[in-house]
Amino acid sequence: MDCHAAMRGRGGGFSYSHAAVIGSRCGQPVGCRRAAASTAMELLSDQGLRLDGRRPDELRNIRCKIGVFSQADGSAYIEQGNTKVLATVYGPHQPRGQAKNKFLFDEALVNCQYSMAVFSTGERKRRPRGDRKSQEMSIHLRQALEAAIRTELYPRSQIDIYVEVLQADGGNYCACVNAATLALVDAGVGLREYAVACSASLANGEIPLVDVSHLEESTGGPNLTVAALPISGQVALMEMSQRFHCDHLPKVLERALEGCKDIHRILDEAVRKHVEETGRASGWGQVDRAGIVL
Amino acid sequence: MAGVLLSEAEKTFILHGVQSDLRNDGRSKQDYRPMELELDIVTHANGSARVRLANTDILVGVKTEIDVPKPEKPDEGKIEFFVDCSANATPEFEGKGGEDLATEISNFLSTSFNSGLSFDLKSLCILKEIQCWKLYVDILILECGGNLFDAVSLAVKAALHNTMVPRVETMAMDGGNVDLQLSGDPYDCWRLDIKNVPCLVTLTKIGEHLIVDPTAEEENCSMASLVLAVTEDGRINSLSKTSVGSFHPHTLTEGLKVGTEVGIRLNKALKEALEKEEKRLQADKPERSGFLK
Amino acid sequence: MSNIRIRLASERVNPSLTFGEEGAPQLFTPGETITENQRVMSGHGTYMDEDNKEVLRASVAGTVERVNQLICVRPIKCRYMGEIGDVVVGRITEVQQKRWKVDTNSRLDSVLLISSVNLPGGELRRRSVEDEQMMRKYLQEGDLVSAEVQSVFSDGSLSLHTRSLKYGKLSQGLLVKVSPSLILRRKNHFHNLLCGASIILGNNGLIWIYPTSPEDESGVGGFTQNLEQVIDKEDRERIARLRNCVLALSASKFMLFDTSIQYAYEESSNYSLKELLAPECMLDVAFRTRHRLQSYRDA
Repeated sequence: MDCHAAMRGRGGGFSYSHAAVIGSRCGQPVGCRRAAASTAMELLSDQGLRLDGRRPDELRNIRCKIGVFSQADGSAYIEQGNTKVLATVYGPHQPRGQAKNKFLFDEALVNCQYSMAVFSTGERKRRPRGDRKSQEMSIHLRQALEAAIRTELYPRSQIDIYVEVLQADGGNYCACVNAATLALVDAGVGLREYAVACSASLANGEIPLVDVSHLEESTGGPNLTVAALPISGQVALMEMSQRFHCDHLPKVLERALEGCKDIHRILDEAVRKHVEETGRASGWGQVDRAGIVL
Repeated sequence: MAGVLLSEAEKTFILHGVQSDLRNDGRSKQDYRPMELELDIVTHANGSARVRLANTDILVGVKTEIDVPKPEKPDEGKIEFFVDCSANATPEFEGKGGEDLATEISNFLSTSFNSGLSFDLKSLCILKEIQCWKLYVDILILECGGNLFDAVSLAVKAALHNTMVPRVETMAMDGGNVDLQLSGDPYDCWRLDIKNVPCLVTLTKIGEHLIVDPTAEEENCSMASLVLAVTEDGRINSLSKTSVGSFHPHTLTEGLKVGTEVGIRLNKALKEALEKEEKRLQADKPERSGFLK
Repeated sequence: MSNIRIRLASERVNPSLTFGEEGAPQLFTPGETITENQRVMSGHGTYMDEDNKEVLRASVAGTVERVNQLICVRPIKCRYMGEIGDVVVGRITEVQQKRWKVDTNSRLDSVLLISSVNLPGGELRRRSVEDEQMMRKYLQEGDLVSAEVQSVFSDGSLSLHTRSLKYGKLSQGLLVKVSPSLILRRKNHFHNLLCGASIILGNNGLIWIYPTSPEDESGVGGFTQNLEQVIDKEDRERIARLRNCVLALSASKFMLFDTSIQYAYEESSNYSLKELLAPECMLDVAFRTRHRLQSYRDA
């Protein structure tokens, strides 16, 4: 499905958004709402393949790096398909600035900010943050992460979590939660378990799809986003857009939770690899009697 | 920029170091810290670049849009700068915290680019008085390690070099409306001419000496800085004094001389790096490091 | 004339030193079950599962340490968690009624009580009202101090003291920040290195490098400073080289202690001071240091 072809076929009188589409360098379909609405696209083809060639229960390719920046206490970068997110964690630290008097006596104050780079979407965004959507996302982010962080360990402290979406191609919130979890692990913040988020949709009214891309989102299919703690199975956040019959809700939810478990496995592997690599370099902090690092 | 607190003793140490031309990290007054460049990082943009200057990390994306030219400049295109100080860099940039700094940087860039000498805005004109290209240069500051102006200008110049503007194939006039048809081939584009685009050089005054590429600690010790926009052939496009301190005219003229020399070398180093990166990108499947490596 | 060089990201070196010899100790990640033995106690980095009281889970990613029945998990990187007797380097953030607030890179600011410092005039002098008013004369916001952790408050913040001559306000020198987990816990954190400069390895990850003063005592202690004194160029070069070596070791996540820093200094003599800023040279220095330490161990 080539978006460029769709736009070209419509004839003259292009508006400026076309320039933005042509400008995209990758050959993959760029999420453009106009083409999607005009042509009827099937979320699931007859062969059982989705718009980007995946199967219904297949996640997008996930790549991540832990420890990207040196100044922050913890940082991580994640790529889920074409969605790219950077997360940094500062803390736990003494509350400073505006939060100086807002601290809590028996637990840590968790502060999140969701921001999207102006060039992250196909059509240029006017403002990176401060609009209602970003504020809502910041609140949702906090909800999911507070369920995972053991805030009782850090009374009167503040933990700042900042996420920056560098490229948005669907599942932005999920990628943000996953990146934030990795950054928290990098910072050594005590967690009950990983906070993992995944989205799911419904195709043809009955087949659940996992890890929804922007193209699939904008074709108007229903979208269920779930943030969960995968080991205990607890759901920290659930959000749904569009509508589908409540009979289908359990299986879409189940698919999303399974997606969370799969993502958890991938993130855990990345964390282990990182800890092993770093630990080896520092000799695991072990010293023999001669005072020499083993 | 707020940031590190320093004790009087530390400031004295830095001051004496600058006086004997041996800074805290061993550099002389005119040395830059190691820099790193990568092009073509943001896929949604027409051109992009990432520059790392030691700790400072800048990501720039350039997007093109078709717009109507300004009535007083009917045959010129437009260029607009937007700087976003991400909270990733420091918690002080949360919310609107980084806006002052962002405005300062984007205003200075606008001044130096709209002077007409650095960038040929006429090349962005499509149809006089009716249509022109507008370039949105969006700068994202991911980490601050001192010397933001220089790093930002390097990233902006690199991103503009990397920008592919779509080619206009046909134009049909229909009454007052113009029907533009852009080339169907996504690779049929033209590149911007960045020969005269300046690089910014920050000269920070510590004591009575001027240093280039200050770290965050050195910036804290200084009361005044001079920012010069220097082109490849050593011309100064614009100039700004930042901070509250003052310059002696003698220091000022010396600063212009030093800044020009450093600017020429900086432009040259960038040009070499851009050529190398272009060659690498032309390979079959160039590896993208981005943030993953 | 200096050279300005811009590298490409594709040429970036990976700073981690990989050695495949030793097997890794057992790693745990947040949420993972450590053991289901009832009789263990949960230490740092672990917690008892709320639903199933027998299961002990890890809450950070790291290696496990077991002392009898107490199980802890040590993360590879985290904010400084103070212990009594630690040596720290901190920066004064606030001057309050009878105490100073010190930023020691921990989760809460530490406290330095006026009764815990050495005031001029002798040890046993009572803290008078004038002393409280003159607090700023001794230590202001932004000043650096070296101190020892006296006690830990119930909320986790630390109480510091400078009741020994070796602690006190720090004079001319330079500060390097690294992760606290890279500082090896030793008996002595004040070192006069063979290369000719001195170093304080704060347990909280702040390292202070300063010129070795000719007199032995009151090198860093007390509250007087000589700001007129200009440190000469050779000392500066040594300090700058030490700084670059410490950063090279820290970039490769190498443990920092007097021997490793001393070796790194010696190995770095192949490079000029400015060259040490380049990532390739930093990796090389760390590699050689590691090699040298290993050869001493095997010898």
